Amino acid sequence: MIKDITLGQYFPGKSFVHKLDPRMKIILLTFFIVFIFAARNFVSLGIMAAAVFAVICISGVSPKMYFKSIKAIIFIVLFTACLNLFYGTGDPLWQWRFLKITQSGINTAIFIAVRIIALVLISAVLTYTTSPTDLTDGIERLLKPLSVFHIQVHEIAMMMTIALRFIPTLLEETDKIMSAQKARGADFESGNFITRLKALIPILVPLFVSAFRRAFDLAMAMESRCYHGGEGRTRMRVLKYSKKDYLALGASCLIFAGVIICSIYLPATVRTGM
Amino acid sequence: MKFIEVKNVVFAYDAAEEGEEPKTVLKDISFEIEKGSFVALLGHNGSGKSTLAKMFNGILEPESGDIVVNGLNTKEESTILDVRKSVGLVLQNPDNQLVASIVEEDVAFGPENLGIPPEQIRQRVDSALKSVDMYEFRAHAPHKLSGGQKQRVAIAGIIAMEPECIVLDEPTAMLDPQGRKEVMDTVIKLNREKKITIILITHYMDEAVQADRVIVLDDGRIIRDGAPKKVFSEVEFLKCHSLDVPQATELAYRLSSSGMKIEGTPLNETECISAVIKALS
Repeated sequence: MIKDITLGQYFPGKSFVHKLDPRMKIILLTFFIVFIFAARNFVSLGIMAAAVFAVICISGVSPKMYFKSIKAIIFIVLFTACLNLFYGTGDPLWQWRFLKITQSGINTAIFIAVRIIALVLISAVLTYTTSPTDLTDGIERLLKPLSVFHIQVHEIAMMMTIALRFIPTLLEETDKIMSAQKARGADFESGNFITRLKALIPILVPLFVSAFRRAFDLAMAMESRCYHGGEGRTRMRVLKYSKKDYLALGASCLIFAGVIICSIYLPATVRTGM
Repeated sequence: MKFIEVKNVVFAYDAAEEGEEPKTVLKDISFEIEKGSFVALLGHNGSGKSTLAKMFNGILEPESGDIVVNGLNTKEESTILDVRKSVGLVLQNPDNQLVASIVEEDVAFGPENLGIPPEQIRQRVDSALKSVDMYEFRAHAPHKLSGGQKQRVAIAGIIAMEPECIVLDEPTAMLDPQGRKEVMDTVIKLNREKKITIILITHYMDEAVQADRVIVLDDGRIIRDGAPKKVFSEVEFLKCHSLDVPQATELAYRLSSSGMKIEGTPLNETECISAVIKALS
């Protein structure tokens, strides 16, 4: 059934990572990404990789889920690693016509593979441990200063909230429409790619019509409930940084400091970024 | 004390295609609604009852005539939020009126819009959810609830704004009998215990009999207005305007037209049974 799809892949739990303020999680994630990219040698990357591994361990989400997230990008990892393998400089260890593998090529390939995997894993931690509502809430509050530049932060967050709310409803509806069209003899399984694509039209048209009808109704319901944009609006839940957040911030700062020191005093393994 | 005044209201929808006449759905309607009353608006499809529902809180404006809520005209742009604060609207499809993906956050949506401080919102949300018996579902996702439960969450979302009146536009049309009963019980409880004025738009006659007053619309005009006993006693009149009567009333009507002497107008099973027993003894 389509409606069994879980969105955002949130796994409820009570771990330290789950209990952190979403804003703090988003900020720390950004810094983790920056420092994973900034790491220039194996020691500093090793520190970041170890930190990511530690966060995964305390997140309390089954390691299986993390493997799943790596599986999705394994092709990209292998592809970039292979490319980098042949781009090294120095004495070739192995050569076939213009293709040569050097020690620096091997180093870069491993380095880049570790970097991509670490990036994906740390991002997975955020989506696995933060509910979609918390996530949009955190984003709205973090982006609030941008409203100085006339960016409609509240409106964007509202759209995200509504999208999240209606995804299950629309999936359920798609399911119903598909069954209804099948009952009328529609065939979604046979034929080539183009035929199958065309078979989707009788699903999409009613789905869109109904989505617009829902939108009209929702707009009316929201207006009836005195919605008038973000101005003068309060929130029931107030996000507050707790001791845990400062603890996480402190620990992360130590890690980042380590990475900076290692990057300055140790020679770089790779010359460029990706 | 009158709470809502409807004065000579006319309303027409724009023509769907060019060259067509605009469709007039309300033709010079006037009535008043008392504070704390429970009014049922009846009428078959196209009678203008849903249009009227959307006028009580200013979603639609009358073309001519006025609607005055608690002394405020719904045409006045500057006081429209006050009108919407005191008159809540519940729509037919519960799915389309829930905004957030967690029950309690949806209920908080209205008070949040009013700019109420966070601690007070919390209190209002909790008491609103308790008054519709949905408190234990506060952390659930709306799409996992039954139709009746969703509709009760929608009602809680309105109650959290502490309105004086709730307009329900066919709130039970998409529900199963169980859900319909849940919603009706909630509505009646709110009217009796919280003294909230209820305007119920419905085409279920068995729901209409529970009101203190029934207004029957047909083709944009009020054709009957009075207590359910009085309105439903005119079985033939309602039938020729393609409206039903409650099943118990229908049975009594058929029995008496085939010669049995049934006294009065029974509106529910209990009244019907005692009337039949009386006629037989």
